[in-house]
Amino acid sequence: MNSFWAKNRQNRNFMIGFVISVLMLVFILVGFFITPYDPDRMDASSKLAGLSWKHPFGCDNFGRDLFSRVMEGAGTTFLIALGTVGIGVTGGMLIGALTGYFGGLVDEILMRINDAIFAFPSILLALLFISLFGGGSFNVVMALGVAFIPSFARVVRGEFLKQKNLDYVQSARLAGAGHVRIIFVHILPNIYPVLLSTFMIGFNNAVLAEASMSYIGIGVKPPDASLGSMLSEAQSYFFTAPWYALAPGCAIVLLILGFALMAEGIKKNT
Amino acid sequence: MKYVLKKLGTMIITLLLISFLVFAAFSVIPGDPALSRLGTNATPERLEQLREEMGLNGSLMSRYGTWLAGFVRGDFGKSYSYNMSVGALILDKLPITLCLSLLAILLVIVFSLLIGIHAAKHEGKLLDRIIVVINQMIMAIPPFFAGILISALFGLGLHWFVPGRFVSYRENLIGFLGYLIAPAVAIALPKIAMAAKLLRSSLVEHAGEDYIRTAYSRGNSTKGVLYHHALKNALIPLITFWGMAFTDMIAGSVVIEQVFGIPGIGRILITSIANRDYPVVEAIIMLLATLIMVVNMLVDIIYRYADPRMRQSNG
Repeated sequence: MNSFWAKNRQNRNFMIGFVISVLMLVFILVGFFITPYDPDRMDASSKLAGLSWKHPFGCDNFGRDLFSRVMEGAGTTFLIALGTVGIGVTGGMLIGALTGYFGGLVDEILMRINDAIFAFPSILLALLFISLFGGGSFNVVMALGVAFIPSFARVVRGEFLKQKNLDYVQSARLAGAGHVRIIFVHILPNIYPVLLSTFMIGFNNAVLAEASMSYIGIGVKPPDASLGSMLSEAQSYFFTAPWYALAPGCAIVLLILGFALMAEGIKKNT
Repeated sequence: MKYVLKKLGTMIITLLLISFLVFAAFSVIPGDPALSRLGTNATPERLEQLREEMGLNGSLMSRYGTWLAGFVRGDFGKSYSYNMSVGALILDKLPITLCLSLLAILLVIVFSLLIGIHAAKHEGKLLDRIIVVINQMIMAIPPFFAGILISALFGLGLHWFVPGRFVSYRENLIGFLGYLIAPAVAIALPKIAMAAKLLRSSLVEHAGEDYIRTAYSRGNSTKGVLYHHALKNALIPLITFWGMAFTDMIAGSVVIEQVFGIPGIGRILITSIANRDYPVVEAIIMLLATLIMVVNMLVDIIYRYADPRMRQSNG
């Protein structure tokens, strides 16, 4: 971990991304425990109020404080993206490691199916899933998570194919290490920079997919705030209250930008 | 030719697989569409009659067979919530989504070439660095947010178009295409940035290779080497990316149609999901899947003919 940090600290992309991500994470984490106002409290006197010390991001059409709502919405989006990537990474890693390491007929079949799903845009797959099982945060996580498995499986499989014939794996095998040990103790630590950047790009795609789905009204259900649903509410007020759309929009952009820059930096150093 | 046939075969098998999975998925979900349409106090006779009408009786395989045979002939069944055939509901919307995606991929190809080559030509200079930073920013903007900004800025602000006033292609083709420019730009922007970045780095990489040095030593001009030697090779990975971008944008148009109020496939898909109008959802998903698979196949074929190394190996 130390060498990882030392290597990436030199990279400007990585550092800018790191700072943005840390700021966003602090913003989200604080939002889990405390927000300046109750995100759902309406206040008729401050309808579409502009930026002020009292309301740093202004207020929405119901007079709800946007700073608090963006905090809550970014938290929702973040958790959904994290859950999605969790499912995608776990499933993808298992399938990718097994197929890449062992090869053979199972690999052939699984990769054919994988390619077929991979060719299918994940948002369509998620929409199909939602139309079968209904909306709500849990279903969105499941839908996107399953849709993300093939792309992770592909990357992990490729890395395992590359690594499995290298000298250090051969010598581990000669030393008597079992398959499970080789996969998890020997190969996995060697591919984690690749995994990490894939993980970050996957996270961004999940943020994007979640935001798009709640924007079109299929996904997180009200009263839960999500950055996507806030944007769809804000769209018609763009001229009277541009901050209403800009606050959640910029939160999405910063969330994505931070991880994208970090992934960029890690990729360059591997 | 053998390769094309092989690809075509694989595509048809994949599509059959997808169609069966989609059909089976919609068949096993709990709930009786006939019951939900008539309400709980319907008579059993009426219910049975409606089930027969809606094609809900029979085994899964026989229903799948009927559905598939209809699908191939262009008969997608009847919508649950609108009292009309699915075909009538979606077929005249398909050109809208298709035109939007085509317009977007056209923008991606033209601008990624222009920007990518320009950045590579001035590698390391100020202009290149500015392009790299702007690219990075644009990649982080979701298309629907870009769409909101564009429609506010250029629509409501500068009055270049009127957001929400969609023109049908039946009435006015030019006006229709004009209205599609803004949404096409919105979905194309991040793809342009990604493709330009890919092209730039692949051009810069090729610039250091031996064959480029040889080309220079034989007295070729900078322009000649760039366009004739380096670009040809750098284009190969770009073709794959363009293909993926195109299929992505077909799916992305579902979202962007909402931003600009375009009555395309996306809007019907979303209302049908909300209404649990399964025949419509099935048909749209299958149509989009077919479109995507065809694009993927074409890209594979183009790729093979663009890269001489691929042509020789019998893969």
